[in-house]
Amino acid sequence: MITVALPKGRTLRATLERFAKAGLHPEEDVSRTRRLIVPARGADARFVLLKDPDVPLYVERGAADLGVCGLDHLLESGADVLSPLDLGFGKCRLCLAAPRGSAIARGWASGESGAEPGRSLRVATKYPALAARAFARRGVPVDLVRLSGSVELAAVAGLSDAIVDLVETGHTLEENGLVPVEDILQVSARLVVNRAAYRLKIEELLPLLERLS
Amino acid sequence: MNGLDVDSGQRPLAAPPQGTQDLLFEAARRLRRCEAALARFFEERGFAEVIPPALEAAEVFALASPHGETGALRTVDRHGHLLAVRADFTAQVARIAATRLARVSPLRLYYRGSVIRETAAETGTARERLQAGCELVGVEGPEADAEMLELAARSLHVLGLAPDSARIAVGNVDYFSALIEAAGVSPRLARSLTDAIDRKDLSTLAALCTREIEAGKARDAILMLAQPPRPEREAGALLQRARDVAPSSRAVAALDRLAKVLAGARAIAADLEVDLGEVRGLGYYTGLVFNLYASGAPRAVGGGGRYDGLLGKFGDPRPAVGFSLDLDALVPLASPA
Repeated sequence: MITVALPKGRTLRATLERFAKAGLHPEEDVSRTRRLIVPARGADARFVLLKDPDVPLYVERGAADLGVCGLDHLLESGADVLSPLDLGFGKCRLCLAAPRGSAIARGWASGESGAEPGRSLRVATKYPALAARAFARRGVPVDLVRLSGSVELAAVAGLSDAIVDLVETGHTLEENGLVPVEDILQVSARLVVNRAAYRLKIEELLPLLERLS
Repeated sequence: MNGLDVDSGQRPLAAPPQGTQDLLFEAARRLRRCEAALARFFEERGFAEVIPPALEAAEVFALASPHGETGALRTVDRHGHLLAVRADFTAQVARIAATRLARVSPLRLYYRGSVIRETAAETGTARERLQAGCELVGVEGPEADAEMLELAARSLHVLGLAPDSARIAVGNVDYFSALIEAAGVSPRLARSLTDAIDRKDLSTLAALCTREIEAGKARDAILMLAQPPRPEREAGALLQRARDVAPSSRAVAALDRLAKVLAGARAIAADLEVDLGEVRGLGYYTGLVFNLYASGAPRAVGGGGRYDGLLGKFGDPRPAVGFSLDLDALVPLASPA
C-alpha cells in the first residue's frame, strides 16, 4: 500500500492530472469530497489531502510515502526527504517586495537595506527560515515577523518595511502598491519521497516514479 | 483545573526536558531485553564492551565532525575546560582505541547507551538517543568491511526483525570522492552535488553538472549517482556500468573494493541493495558506507561505514570500520528471543 500526500492548494489540479497520467486516480473528486483520505481506483494506494506546508512533514515522518509540494515549503520545512522529481508545474518565485517608492525599493539594488538608521529591516513573511537565510547571506540584519496569510497587508499597513512572499504573476503586489525588489528562490512543484519507503517499497515506487517523470 | 495548562508560563517540573523521556516498566524492560540480546550477540562475535564516560572534552566530538557542527551540549567546568555531554560514541571509542589501546590490533569493541544532541526546537526530534554499536579497529581489508556489514544485518535478526522486513543500502563513498577529484570541482560545488545526490534530485544534479563540470567520464559517472538503488543480485551489472565510465584508477579501485565487500557479505545478500549515491558522511567516512532500514520505521534505523581518518586525529593512524543502531527506532519493532 502506497500513501500519497496531495497539497490542497493552488497546485492540486495539476498534481491530480499528473497522477492520472501516471495511472493513479482518486476514487472520487478530491476537490469536492469532505473525506481526508481517498482510496485510489483499482490500485493498492490512497491519497491524503493536506495543507501544502504540511506535506514535507507527513512524508518525512512516514505518514505518507510520497507527496507533492512546492520547493518553497520543502526548503522552509527543512524536512529530511528525497526529492527525485521536479514536476515542472506550480512555477512562481519567492520575492522580497516593498512599497513602491519606499527607501528599500529605491536603494536595495545599490546595497542599501532601506531600514531606518539604527534599526533592523522589518520583514513580514510566511517563510521565516528561508527569509532569515536569504538576509544572512546578504549580511542584512533583519527583524522577521511570521504571518500566516495576507502578507502584502503587513507592508501596506506599516507592520513591516518589506515582505518575503510568493509571486506568481505580480498582480497582487501591484494592486497593493508593492514592487518586487529581489528574487530569492525559483519555485516549482517537487515530488518528495520518504527515505525509508524509497528503500523498503522501491518495487512499488519505481514504476510510479518513472510514469510521473 | 481541567485540560492542559498552557499559559502558566512556568515549565512544569513534572516533565523531563524537551526531547528526552522517562522509560517506565514495560518500556524499560523491552529496551534492556534488546540491549542484552545485542550484547550477547556482539560478545559471541568476539567484541568486548567499552563504557566511555558521559562527559568528554568537547574537542573529541569536534575532531569527529568534518564541519565542526557536533550538536553537542557543552559546558565549561570550574577549571575552565570545555566539556561536552556524550554526542557520539564512535569519537569516544576512537579516543580510547588511539590512546589506551594503541598497541592492540585488531580491536573489536562495542558500546551501548545514550547520546545527547541538540536539535532544532519544535521539531520534536529526540535530544537523547539510545544506541548500540560496534567498531573494528586496525583491519584495513574488504573482509573487515564485510564482517561489519554482516554483523549489522544479523543484529536486526537478533532483535527479531524478519529478514525480509529489513533492507541495507550499501555504497562506497570513496567512489564519489574519486569522481570529485577527477572532475576537479570546488569544495562548494562538491557540497551542492552531495546534497543533490543525497536527495536523489536528478534534475538539480543534471543542472549542476551541465553548468559546472566539463563533459567527460567524470561528469557521466556523477550523473549516474542519483539513480535508484539496485538489489544485490543486480550489483554486478551496476558496478560494470559504473566501471565503464570510471574516470580514474582510484574510482575503479573503489568499485572493485565494493564488489569484494558484497562478495564477502554473501550470507546476507537478500537484505542488501547497492547504491553508489550513498554519499552522506563524506569527509568522515572514507570507504564503505551503509544505512539500515526496517519496515515500520520512517527513517534509517542504523548505519555505519569505514572511517580510516579518525584515529589519526587522536595520534594513532589506524583504519577502522563500525556501525551504530538506533534503539529508539528499533525497540518498538523488536521481539528478541
